[in-house]
Amino acid sequence: MAARGHVQDPNDRRLRPIYDYLDNGNNKMAIQQADKLLKKHKDLHCAKVLKAIGLQRTGKQDEAFTLAQEVAILEPTDDNSLQALTILYREMHRPELVTKLYEAAVRKVPTSEEYHSHLFMAYARVGEYKKMQQAGMALYKIVPKNPYYFWSVMSLVMQAISAQDEKLSQTMFLPLAERMVEKMVKEEKIEAEAEVQLYFMILERLGKYVEALEVVQGPLGEKLTSELQSRENKCMMLYRRLERWAECNALSCKLEIVPFDPDDWQFYILYFDSLFHLIDQSWAPPQEGAHSAEGEVHASTAQAISFMKDRIATEEAKESKHLRGPYLARLELIRRLRVRSCPEAQQLGEPLELMFQFFVKFGDKPCCITDLKIFLDLLTPDQHVQFINRLMEAVPLCAPGEDGVALPGDTRALQRHLCVTQLSRSLGQQHALNTEGKLGLIKELKAHYQHGLQFGKSCLKTELQFSDMYCLMAAHVYVDLWLETGESNMLWQCLGLLEEGLSHSSSNAQFKLLLLLLYCRLGAFEPVVDLYSSLDAKHVQHDTIGYLLTRYAESLGQFAAASQSCNFSLRFFHSNQKDTSEYIIQAYKYGAFEKIPEFIAFRNRLNHSLHFAQVRTERMLLDLFLEADISSPLEESVKSMSLCLEEDDIPWDSLRDNRDLTVLVSWDPKDRQLNEEHKQRSLEEDTLWLRLRSLTLRLIGCVSALTHPPASRNSEKTTENGVTAKPSSLQSLLSQLENTLNQATQLTEKQPQVRTALSSGCCQCQLSSLQLPLHLQELETTGLDGFIFTYFYFFFLHAFPDMLEKCKGDLLEVKDGQSKPQPFLLENLVYFVESVCIVLWVSNYCGSVLRPLKSSLQKKNSSLQSLLNQALEHIKSQELSLTALELGALSLEGQTQSEVQTFTKTAMDKVHSSYLRSLQEIGELLKKRADTLKSLKI
Amino acid sequence: ELTKMTTLRAFTCDDLFINNIYGIPFYLQYLAHWPEYFIVAEAPGGELMGYIMGKAEGSVAREEWHGHVTALSVAPEFRRLGLAAKLMEMLEEISERKGGFFVDLFVRVSNQVAVNMYKQLGYSVYRTVIEYYSANNGEPDEDAYDMRKALSRDTEKKSIIPLPHPVRPEDIE
Repeated sequence: MAARGHVQDPNDRRLRPIYDYLDNGNNKMAIQQADKLLKKHKDLHCAKVLKAIGLQRTGKQDEAFTLAQEVAILEPTDDNSLQALTILYREMHRPELVTKLYEAAVRKVPTSEEYHSHLFMAYARVGEYKKMQQAGMALYKIVPKNPYYFWSVMSLVMQAISAQDEKLSQTMFLPLAERMVEKMVKEEKIEAEAEVQLYFMILERLGKYVEALEVVQGPLGEKLTSELQSRENKCMMLYRRLERWAECNALSCKLEIVPFDPDDWQFYILYFDSLFHLIDQSWAPPQEGAHSAEGEVHASTAQAISFMKDRIATEEAKESKHLRGPYLARLELIRRLRVRSCPEAQQLGEPLELMFQFFVKFGDKPCCITDLKIFLDLLTPDQHVQFINRLMEAVPLCAPGEDGVALPGDTRALQRHLCVTQLSRSLGQQHALNTEGKLGLIKELKAHYQHGLQFGKSCLKTELQFSDMYCLMAAHVYVDLWLETGESNMLWQCLGLLEEGLSHSSSNAQFKLLLLLLYCRLGAFEPVVDLYSSLDAKHVQHDTIGYLLTRYAESLGQFAAASQSCNFSLRFFHSNQKDTSEYIIQAYKYGAFEKIPEFIAFRNRLNHSLHFAQVRTERMLLDLFLEADISSPLEESVKSMSLCLEEDDIPWDSLRDNRDLTVLVSWDPKDRQLNEEHKQRSLEEDTLWLRLRSLTLRLIGCVSALTHPPASRNSEKTTENGVTAKPSSLQSLLSQLENTLNQATQLTEKQPQVRTALSSGCCQCQLSSLQLPLHLQELETTGLDGFIFTYFYFFFLHAFPDMLEKCKGDLLEVKDGQSKPQPFLLENLVYFVESVCIVLWVSNYCGSVLRPLKSSLQKKNSSLQSLLNQALEHIKSQELSLTALELGALSLEGQTQSEVQTFTKTAMDKVHSSYLRSLQEIGELLKKRADTLKSLKI
Repeated sequence: ELTKMTTLRAFTCDDLFINNIYGIPFYLQYLAHWPEYFIVAEAPGGELMGYIMGKAEGSVAREEWHGHVTALSVAPEFRRLGLAAKLMEMLEEISERKGGFFVDLFVRVSNQVAVNMYKQLGYSVYRTVIEYYSANNGEPDEDAYDMRKALSRDTEKKSIIPLPHPVRPEDIE
């Protein structure tokens, strides 16, 4: 903890033990010590604040806050109190209170550089840009140091960036910032590189590229030294913006040849971009003098071809250490010439042959596949077979063994063979095979996999096996077969193969990811939890790949595990907010101005994450389904969530889809690859689902608030928690839910593979049950009886039995000696239970307003009771039949008793055990709900 | 072998969505303080090939001002292309410009592959730091080599004369 400087101050000596207790996490002792001290020294404010910190950390937020305000109101100016309060407010997530604190301090001590600078940082933490601008200038007036002046300038830039009105940025904030810098330039007061960077940023944002170029190329530009090639990169960017293609071309040409970095791909791309712009403009060199400010310019196809030939010749002349760049750039040039239908493309050679030559040189490097993959479209479809055969000529394999498979003799040969195999899949050759062909291919891939394991015997646990990719690819072919034939046997064998792969290569993330995905598809959440935790997902990955887990978590009936997986992600998101503000402040201190908007954009990207909103919503729903009216009343649960009914806290218009949808390796040909349309549709479905869930959540909150309208003495606090409900909000939420459900119906028609819940009708059922309170409020008491009767009649005689019917069937259906998983039954069961929860909450509400109608409701309740009993019986019988199922007795077609079968058996056991566990958890919840029905007040 | 073929550019926050092993504060701290020392390499297809992060620290007066390599990482499929050497060369160049006396880095004594690579790049063991890496899973703490390479400002190469005795982590700055 901070603030323990001046040893001579007796107060420091007195406070020290409290600091020590707090540092060691001994909050109780810290509080006691503070109390002791305060008895003797009533006015030792800091002791109060330290006590407040202790209280805050022991969960007594209200007490801590009151105590802190006692000190804050005195407007302290001693370091100890100020810093302790800053720490406390930060822990309370109330950074805005820190600004108040230092505003008072600078008022009392107007010449303090330290307090002014604290005030600036306090504003920075909450993003008060205008006040930052003023605080920076005030600071500069007290102590005329350049950084303070430029803090103020940067605050203007931030006002420009955050302004809703772009015009205001362009005509007011940025020009003002520009003038402030110009003043310093004129007075020759520019000192640091950061100041030039900021000047550059301002000019760039103003679109003043010519002026920016002058700065970079002029004397101020000489200060840009920290970053490598900083001036060149900036010039290049500006040439592009200014469409000065001649300079762009000459500079990229130069940068590609300079010895420092002769293999930078971005300069090849810029070279080609500028070249074709110049050709289109029929650019001609000036009569005399240099081509451009940056030197010689290439402006014809012929020059480009000869430039490429020179680059290649230079490489060919080398004995070793060949660069890959020139060879790939040659292919890129062919592509671009072909797009423009330039016959000169032929002068560079035939792509098939060039790619073969590339493979001869670099085929044993793992990156060869990513290099060549981007140029596969240069081949015509009828060249594909020839291409693969040609590459195979450069793969040294031993003579075929008795199984007819020719195998590589070392890892280099293996790498080459693997590269060709991957390219073959990328060209769609594997997809074109029929079932028999695919099974043959799998056999071959497995042989390569098994054989390759010998090369990796000395591999560490953290290293991958050389032949892992064969195993993964064979699994992909199994998945192809499963999707084509619908035969679950293919899936079981796929899982077995991946389990086997993982046993040899325990840190292969791709094995884990595919297993995770497949188990989820099978509705088996139990093995998924371990797989995900062994992936050791870090930080942002909870956002980018967390969806793999949380998308399925709740719907598969493993509620405890689902809660836990939401928590993984939530913990990460919550820490982000606090973390980023600290580094925004550091960026001001170190003058890393260009990073400040970047940090803020980063923070927003995480805060607006679709996944964040999803886990937040699902977590709250889960809590309600599991706890509300079981361990504590619904209204208590709702209250503890700070759920806001009136206002939606999900930023629908700026939701960010941070999911990494390409985290699983794929060698699929272009027409099967994930494209923008797929991503868009998946985003649409997820957003729609989130909308349904968040509306359901808020409606449940409404029902709770209607049942227990907040007592007036508590009103302030309840408003803070947001739990007040008006009939109007109920109505508007209901109509939103209805609209969203209509959209969902349309989506289901377009996309048959949407979530089970959307197609099973359970959402509709949840909506209908939530509509009841509204009808109750609208209708006069007269005639209600008949209405309620119709309503419950609908539920208990139609909707619920229908839903329950959809849950019936065997989770593992055994037919012809094969077992076929039917995970949708599990999902339906979960949604059935959810709907039961909702109906019970609504009944509770009805009971509270309709005492006179007791008897008719009671009748309906007994039919609900019998329905729940039916459901429980169904679950019990599923548990029993699953337990009785002997998986070992099932024949695994095409497999002999072997090690392979052991792994397949393992996978089956995992699914089996997971189904059982899900049933148990669902059954337990349903039982608890059935118990609450008995004690229902009506 | 030098076949790196890459696009080298400054690391940005969006890269954290692809590469993020140390936790956001760690990266942001470096981006806020030493952005120029944080460089990523990207393949022509857009894949992240590797990155280097470092910082400048030490007292100029005591001739200890130097560049430090905090992390260097190359994705498995982009190894053996000379990328690590290229990224190291860039970090050394930045340190040269800042007037550093040397560049240093820490490496596990057991990581023979890395130690040899750094030796090839001109680094030598300056000292051993005892139990520098804290253990997990019940394995013992591990020692680190502090390896150094002198820059042109250290004309007599004083900064890399090996220390005769190992030091403890609390003794290093």
